[in-house]
Amino acid sequence: MDANMLNALSNQMADAVERIAKSLVMVNGRPRQPATGIAYAGDFVLTADHVLEREDNLTVQTHDNRVLGAQIVGRDASTDLAVLRVQGLSVPVAAAAAEARVGQIALAVGRPSPDGVMASLGIVSKIGGPVRMGRSSATLERYIQTDATPYPGFSGGALVDATGAAFGLLTTGFGRGAAIVIPMDVALKVAGTLTKQGYVKRGYLGIVSQQVKLSPAQRSDAQEYGLLVVRVEENSPAEKGGLLIGDILLAIEGQPINDADDLIAALQGDRVGKPVAVRVSRGGVAQTLTVVVGQKS
Amino acid sequence: MKPSPSAAAQAFADVIAAAKASVVQIHTGGRGIGAGVIWRSDAARSEIITNAHVVAGAARRNGAGLRVVTADNCIIPARVLAGDPQLDLALLGIDMGGLPAAKIGDSTRLRVGELVFAIGNPWGQASVVTSGIISGLDSMTMRGMGRTAPYIRSDVLLAPGNSGGPLLDATGAVIGINAMIFGGDLSVAIPSHIVAEWIAGGNWL
Repeated sequence: MDANMLNALSNQMADAVERIAKSLVMVNGRPRQPATGIAYAGDFVLTADHVLEREDNLTVQTHDNRVLGAQIVGRDASTDLAVLRVQGLSVPVAAAAAEARVGQIALAVGRPSPDGVMASLGIVSKIGGPVRMGRSSATLERYIQTDATPYPGFSGGALVDATGAAFGLLTTGFGRGAAIVIPMDVALKVAGTLTKQGYVKRGYLGIVSQQVKLSPAQRSDAQEYGLLVVRVEENSPAEKGGLLIGDILLAIEGQPINDADDLIAALQGDRVGKPVAVRVSRGGVAQTLTVVVGQKS
Repeated sequence: MKPSPSAAAQAFADVIAAAKASVVQIHTGGRGIGAGVIWRSDAARSEIITNAHVVAGAARRNGAGLRVVTADNCIIPARVLAGDPQLDLALLGIDMGGLPAAKIGDSTRLRVGELVFAIGNPWGQASVVTSGIISGLDSMTMRGMGRTAPYIRSDVLLAPGNSGGPLLDATGAVIGINAMIFGGDLSVAIPSHIVAEWIAGGNWL
């Protein structure tokens, strides 16, 4: 009975690989090592942005060995995600797993060659975030780390649970060869934006700031910190809205701004192009300015 | 039955303990040791499969210094019955019978994702067990046999000293002989059905 249980576990893992395998395509978008993509809806495939080294002549190869042309619908370097459209894709879409827990069995699965899928075994090692991606203003609200080996060509592949449902999209694009998994719900949110407009809108004000501790006079409620404006870019939304060097940024649309991450969060998505109420402390006096949030390219 | 981690761990330990009895160390008189699998055993003799590269030096000295160390620490002189450097397989004979021959699995029906483990002597440490899954089944040309056959790729951690040792499935059956070790996380094993074919077709000394 004990040996049977181990055998059952073994078969279940092979079943999990088989299940996700049908949703994984090989992505030909760079000269040498092909990468992987995950079919997630209709004709759409999610992959890693960094594996697309060209914009034309992209192809994917499906589990049943069909080679199909692919077009880039949208891409976002800062989250390393891209959406491809593949006419006539017709493969099962990947199922999304329940939220990952540290310690869960995880399989990294990719389709780096026409020979079939490859897989490696590990666990969910860490769930982290939010984290700012490099020096850009993009934030990844959550990410997963795993000790499963990312083989060459696994970027754009899936980390799946023991049933073959996807925890997220695996990429080594954030440097040092370390694998980061972008959780499925986070990746699908970016994919939704990419299919709508081809890029991710990120707002900006055009200031350089540093965090300062607020004096009791400047403080309201529980807010301890604000952002001291040390530079205002010429012709920026901030300048047009009347922000000055020396202002201490306290809140946007009523959301307290304690640090740079708060500011980035306050400038996401649908606020781009719209006027927002910016509360600052100027010379110890609180006042509210109106700034139209700009679009960062 | 709902699998619990502790039950799985116990099952793992049981399967490994049983499989270890059929794994031997191969000492060649030189530096380093390899691993081998007791393929068959009768009342008086046993045959052991390993990699050709493990015994290459000893084979050049007509087998001088070649010894097998069993799981219960019997040290027995061995001779090379057959070797194929292209397949990287060698068959050794010892004049000791009654040894536990390994259970041989069906390597024609493997699937990516299957649980596997290896027993060997990485860096000379005796009888070390590592585990992982089958990462890929690649078709490579088996030059020695004039045809192609799948090689088993796995993410099991192996090191020199695992060469010639078994890759086992979840039931403890040998599905491959660990051969090429690319260091770290991608290892290649020769499927056991290829080993069986090679043994069946050989001309023994």
